[in-house]
Order: sequence, then structure tokens, then C-alpha cells
Amino acid sequence: MNKKDIRQLFSRYKIVALLFAIAIIWAFFTFETDGDFLTARNFSNLLRQMAITGMLASAMVFVIVATEIDLSVGSMLGLLGGIAAILDVRYRLPLAVVVAIVIGLGILFGLISGYLSAYRRIPSFICTLGLMLVFRGALIGLTGGATIAPVSPSMVAIGQAYLPQLPGDILAVGLFLLLAVVAMRTRANRIRHRLAVPPLWQEVAKLGLYAAIIAGLVYALDSYQGIPLPVLVMMVILGVFSVMSHKTVFGRRIYAVGSNLEATRLSGVNVALVKLLVFGLMGLMCAFAGLTTTGRLAAGSPSAGTGAELDAIASCFIGGTSMRGGIGTVQGALIGALTMASLDNGMSMMGIDTFWQMIVKGAILILAVWMDVVSGSER
Amino acid sequence: MSDFLLEMRGISKDFSGVKAIDNISLSVRPGECVGLCGENGAGKSTLMKVLSAVYPYGTWSGTILWDGQELKARTIRDTEDAGIVIIHQELMMVPHLSVAENIFLGREITRPGGLMDYPAMHARAEALLAELKMPDVNVALPVMTYGGGHQQLFEIAKALNKNARLLILDEPSSALTATETRTLLDLILDLKRKGVASVYISHKLDEVAEIADTVTVIRDGTHVATRPMAELDTRKIITMMVGREISTLFPREPHPIGDVVFEARNISCWDPDNPRRKLVDDVSFELRRGEILGVAGLVGAGRTELASKLFGCFKGPSEGEIRLDGRPVRITSPRTAVKLGICMVPEDRKRHGIVPLLGVGHNITMSVLGQESRYGFIDSSAEMVEIAAQIDRMRIKTASPLLPIANLSGGNQQKAVVSKMLLPSPKVLILDEPTRGVDVGAKYEIYKLMFELARQGIAILMISSELPEVLGISDRVLVIGEGLLRGNFPNQALSQEKILAAALGKQDALSGDA
Repeated sequence: MNKKDIRQLFSRYKIVALLFAIAIIWAFFTFETDGDFLTARNFSNLLRQMAITGMLASAMVFVIVATEIDLSVGSMLGLLGGIAAILDVRYRLPLAVVVAIVIGLGILFGLISGYLSAYRRIPSFICTLGLMLVFRGALIGLTGGATIAPVSPSMVAIGQAYLPQLPGDILAVGLFLLLAVVAMRTRANRIRHRLAVPPLWQEVAKLGLYAAIIAGLVYALDSYQGIPLPVLVMMVILGVFSVMSHKTVFGRRIYAVGSNLEATRLSGVNVALVKLLVFGLMGLMCAFAGLTTTGRLAAGSPSAGTGAELDAIASCFIGGTSMRGGIGTVQGALIGALTMASLDNGMSMMGIDTFWQMIVKGAILILAVWMDVVSGSER
Repeated sequence: MSDFLLEMRGISKDFSGVKAIDNISLSVRPGECVGLCGENGAGKSTLMKVLSAVYPYGTWSGTILWDGQELKARTIRDTEDAGIVIIHQELMMVPHLSVAENIFLGREITRPGGLMDYPAMHARAEALLAELKMPDVNVALPVMTYGGGHQQLFEIAKALNKNARLLILDEPSSALTATETRTLLDLILDLKRKGVASVYISHKLDEVAEIADTVTVIRDGTHVATRPMAELDTRKIITMMVGREISTLFPREPHPIGDVVFEARNISCWDPDNPRRKLVDDVSFELRRGEILGVAGLVGAGRTELASKLFGCFKGPSEGEIRLDGRPVRITSPRTAVKLGICMVPEDRKRHGIVPLLGVGHNITMSVLGQESRYGFIDSSAEMVEIAAQIDRMRIKTASPLLPIANLSGGNQQKAVVSKMLLPSPKVLILDEPTRGVDVGAKYEIYKLMFELARQGIAILMISSELPEVLGISDRVLVIGEGLLRGNFPNQALSQEKILAAALGKQDALSGDA
């Protein structure tokens, strides 16, 4: 087997390779922390940490697939979280109103970056770099540079609540049934259109694997306190976005725009609108992430979300999103986010200095993109 | 010991199990020109990529003997050092660098310390170009100052600078005008006399017939025949390429022509980079239901710009009125054009036609996906039915409707692009060079389709640089020259000479103006 075969194998089974890498990382940390890493409590914690990066990464995937980038998401989530805290603490608005306002603002902020890059043709790298500073500045101005606390218990719940066991279990079963039905329907459809299908045992084995993962996940979380609310939100986002990317016109167009913008435009597609909406979606996810962050910290912090854009972008690249656009999945990005969160969590538990953590994460981002370049050079 | 410069023996190459070429042999003597013919997807390009080590030694099977020695090249540089230089279909010049800098790109003549030795490079570049009978070129000017024809010749100068003993020319004349092609062919004949061998790949069989000593034909990845050109003519080559006799190249069918459906009035377009330069100058014409209107002219005459203006995708300043069914319409983007019922198949398939990573089927449905969905959700079953019908109707050869379109041959890609533009049921269909880079068999099918569409009442505007095609297909012919409408002839007693004379602006040709 020569180098190229390994490369091809790697690019074809990237997700499997990634899960393998995560297993190694986990084994390493478990060994180094005398088993503390792999407890139900830490697992729950790890997933909660991952949720925020995961929310950002699941929209960032589409931004990168459309050959754009958004560097402002860390600041944007900070600003939106800060606004949520201010509305909650200073104005004592009910939670529903706060959430609605923050979501509205998030979409608006996203649309602003989208408008600047898609319609005013400022490269998104530059305009979101500028907005990164604008949003952070606005946040510091609004908060006066001080932490806004204490936020109301209902706000805290967004970031810290757990789903009780029974509803959690029902949800898990429901999720599995949904997966099974979708898999079988897709299969039936493919057979109807005389398309190649994998052997039935493979399909069943795949579903079995899903069942094991879901059961393991829910079991682990239940044996601590239940499914954390942010993790639930992230899972719902995963589901919605997967469907969006495969089953909707918008999803199809994101990939078309990323693969060949000109040909898509000449097919009568409004490509600028597609890009605008992708940024709007990114803004929406920043709102979710911002609310979750404020809930988790139980405060609005002027430094919240610093560096979150790096985590999100790195998650996408680790998860197989291509820098050249047109390729990338939400599932991949979330597995990427899990990798990043595992590194964060494990290194913290080992007591490694923050500066080392930053160096490692930066290096991982570069490594992930290098992998993409190497596996794509065959095309 | 053989008297061959190059012998490729039993070359096979597969892509993840699918045989692209199977046991092909090709030999070239010193100073010989070998014509390599085959339909698109027959494996010509794959064979040449094996030879030039784009696919390195070890990724294919068979032997290559160069000067009697086995060649085991791993990089393009290895083959170039041996004296094999490939000139690709797409020009590979850096537009902002000077002619000399391009010729020496990667092999610069330097002074100590890595400084460029411009005087030496300019002198050598001038000598090379003089050898190619192009003494008027200023080698210090940026390459983009010169047209596509010149650039093709610069490529050859670059190859000669590498001491090429074998030139591989892959469709070199596809973007050239008739005069430029003439210069190119003379040059190859001249190089032959100097002992430089060449492999000439082209769909333009007249060119092959003129310069090739030997012709090798491949079909579906296998070797069909190698014969001296003296025993062949273009008709025989075509028969070998398609494996059957094509009785007529243009399957003309009668079709009724109806009322005026589309009118363009006083269309003008200016160069986006140079707003003083008019690319299209006050062109007006009308198009009737079921009519096939051919647009002839030399490359760069402004035909593509005219088409993009009509389709709403011209990038520079423009003016003029467009009427559809008698009513003036404003076309500001391809999207509005498609909505109004005007569709266009663009000239540059790779850049403007296909979305490479999407499946064949998903490419086909792209233009109608928005209308055929419910609340933004794609009805995948209905979509698959639609795709299967289109693939069937257009006879697109693909392993699966979900296969990324980049894996298909040019002809099949083109059929998919045409099919994409037919799904919105256009009233007016603009085809910009619909058969460029398309093999004989697929060409025939595209022509048949055009007549079928015309019979259904679709008005077709076909831009083509191939005059036999324009004459064989059109009901009426517009001739554009230097942005001006120089002729509007019914296709009766029209000849290639007449069209060419009009395109060049000879006054006497205008007497036939309808």
C-alpha cells in the first residue's frame, strides 16, 4: 500500500478516522487523569462545553461551503450574550422577550456581514475581520467593560438546565425511530429509482451503531443529571441542518454556489441571496450560542466568546469541510467540535497552562487545513 | 533497435476500477506528426497525461520507450527534461507577466544572486519568436496585450525553449481564428522539417488531414487503427471514430417558422475593463418562433458579449431594448431571463456550465428546483423521476444520476447543461458554441435535438465559429464583425466565403443583406 492509497482511504473514511482520533485522545486523557476524564460528570461537562462551539460550527460549515468565512462570530456571540444579560439584568425583561430580541439582532448582524460581502462585494475575510472589532467594541461600550450580573434564574437555565430522565429517554427513542425511518425510506427510494444501495446488513449494522451511540450517550448523561439543555439544542440544530442541506432547495444551492458560483448564477439562481441567507443563519446561531454562554456563565462578560471563531472554523476543517468550498457536512463539523472540546477539557483537567492550550489549538487548525489540502490535491 | 522516437506499448490506466484506456499503443518517429483522433471520452487526454507524467510512472501499466530506453517519469519536469512537452487546450500564460517572462517561467536565465538576466532573456525570446516567424512581437509587453492566437504560439516558443523533441498539442486551435490556425499549422509543418515530432489532438479533422503523417484512432479507451494519412480521408476517420457511418452530419428537418417572439433593438455593450471600447455596436435583429438563427463571426467579434447581454449576465455597461412577445422586458440577471423564458447554454462549459461537485442529476434540475419544491423542500422522488427522464431523453451516458458531473466526458456534460436549460421550458434558447469540444456522435445528437426543439416552437439563437455548422443548421444567419451587424442573410445559396467576407467587412457582401 503506497502513500496515495492511504491518502485516498483517509479522505474516504475521514469521519471514521476522526472518531478513531477522538478515541485515542480520550484514552490519553483518561490515562493522564487517572480515569477522571471518562466519568459521567465530566462527559456531561464536555458535551456542554462542546455545545457552544457546535452551534457555531454547524452554521460555519455552510459559510465555508459557500467559499466564504466569518471571523466575527466570537465577538458577535459575545455582543449578543452581553445584550441578553443587559436586557435581563438592567431592564428585567421576561426571558421570552429577551430571547426574541437577541435572536432578531443575531439574524440582523449576520445579514449585515452577508450584505457587505455578497452585495457590496467586500471579501468576507476582510469585512468580518472588521466586524469582529466593531462587535467587540460595541460589547465593551455597552457593558462599560464590566461583568453584568447576576442574571435571572430563567436565563441561567438556558445554559445550565438538564432534561429529566424520562423525557430524555423518550426523545432518544424517538430520535432513533426517526433515523431508522429516514434510512429505510431513502433506501426504498433509491431502489425505486434503480440506484445502487449498500447491502441490507450494512444498513442494519449502521442503524445498530446509531442505536448504540444514542443509548450510550443518553445512559452516560442520565447517570449524571440528564441531557443538558444546550446539548439538546445542538442536537436539534444538527437534525434541522442535516435535513436542510439534503432536502431543501436552499441547502442544495449552498453547495452549488460553493462548487461553481458562475455556473450556478447562469442557471438562474440568485447567488447573492443564497450567500446573504447563509450569513443570516450564522447570525442566528451566534444568538443561540450567545444566550447559552450568558446562561452558562450566569453573567454577561465583555470577554465572552473571545477566540470562539477559531474553535468553530477549526471544527469545520477537522470535520472534513473543504477550504475550496462545495464540500462539508454538519455531522462532520460537530465531530470536529467534539475533538476541539475534548482537547480543551482534557488539557484543563491535566492542569496544562492556557497558553499551551492556545498553541495546541492553533496548531490543530493548521494541521486540519493541511490535511484538507493534501487529500484534495488529487482532484 | 527501432527507428521510433517514442513507443508507447500496451498502456492501460484505470480510475478506481473503471478502465479509462485499455492496452493502447502509439508510436512516433523523429520529425513525424501523428494525429490522435477519437470522440470525447475516448481516452485521448488520459493517454497524453500518461505520456507527460501527469499520471506518474507506476499509476498505469504498460511500457513507454523513449529513444529506445524505458522512460519512468514521475513528474512533468522529468518528461520535459527528456524533451516531451505538452501544450494544453487551455492557455497557461500568466497574463500580467511579459512575453519573455512567460516563455522563461520556471527556467529563468539568472545572474549570480538570483537576479533576472533580462537582456539575455529578451534576446533569446526574440530569437525564438523570429524562428516562429513572429518578429513583430514586443517581448517586454505583458502577455495579455496579445490575443489568444499569439498566446498559443508563445506556448510553443516556451516549449521550444525547453528543447522539445516531441510536442503534444491538445486541441490547440479550439480558441483560434482561421488565420491564427493557419499560422499554427504552418509552424507545425515547419517544425517537422526541423525534426521536431508532434502529436496533434483535434476534433477539426481537416487540420489533422493536412498536417498528420500517421493517424491513430481510439474509441472507448481501446485502439482502433493506426494508418498513414495517405490512405485516409476525414470521412474514413469519422467512420473509425464513431464506429459507424454517419450518412449526414446535419440531420436537417423541416420545421414551421412562426411569428416574431423576440426582438433585440440597438444593443450596445462596452468593455468592462476599458469603457471606451465598444464590443457590441448597435445590433438589432428579430427571432421567430421555431426559427434557428445562426450567429457567425470571428472569435472576439462580440457574439458572446451580445449573448450575455440578452441573458442578463454582461458585466460591463450596456444599452438597448429587448422585446419578448412584443412587450419590452428588462433583463437584469440570468434569473429574470430564465423566468421570462430566455435560457442560455454558455460557451465555457467548465467555468460557466457545470457545477462539478454536484451529481449529474442535481446539475440538471438546478434551474427549476425553486419552482418544483414545496415550501422550500425538494420532492426527491419527483426530482429523481425528472432526472431519469432527462438522462434518457438526452441519452446522457453516466454510471449513476448521482455521479458528480465532473467525471463525465465533455459531450455528456454538455448534454446535461443543455438539458438543465430546457427544463424551464424556454421560449428562446441561446446556444453559445453548443458543440465546442464535443465529439462527432454527441454533436449529431445535439443537432437533432435543436431541430426537435424548433419544431416545438422554441426560437433558437446559435452562436458558432464553425461555418459548416452554421450553414448546416440555421434558417437565417447573422454575421457579426468587430461588434457590428454586418449581415443578416436567409440561409439560401449562402456560402462560407460569403459569410467570411461579410464578417471581414467587405462591402460587396452587404448587397445580400435581407
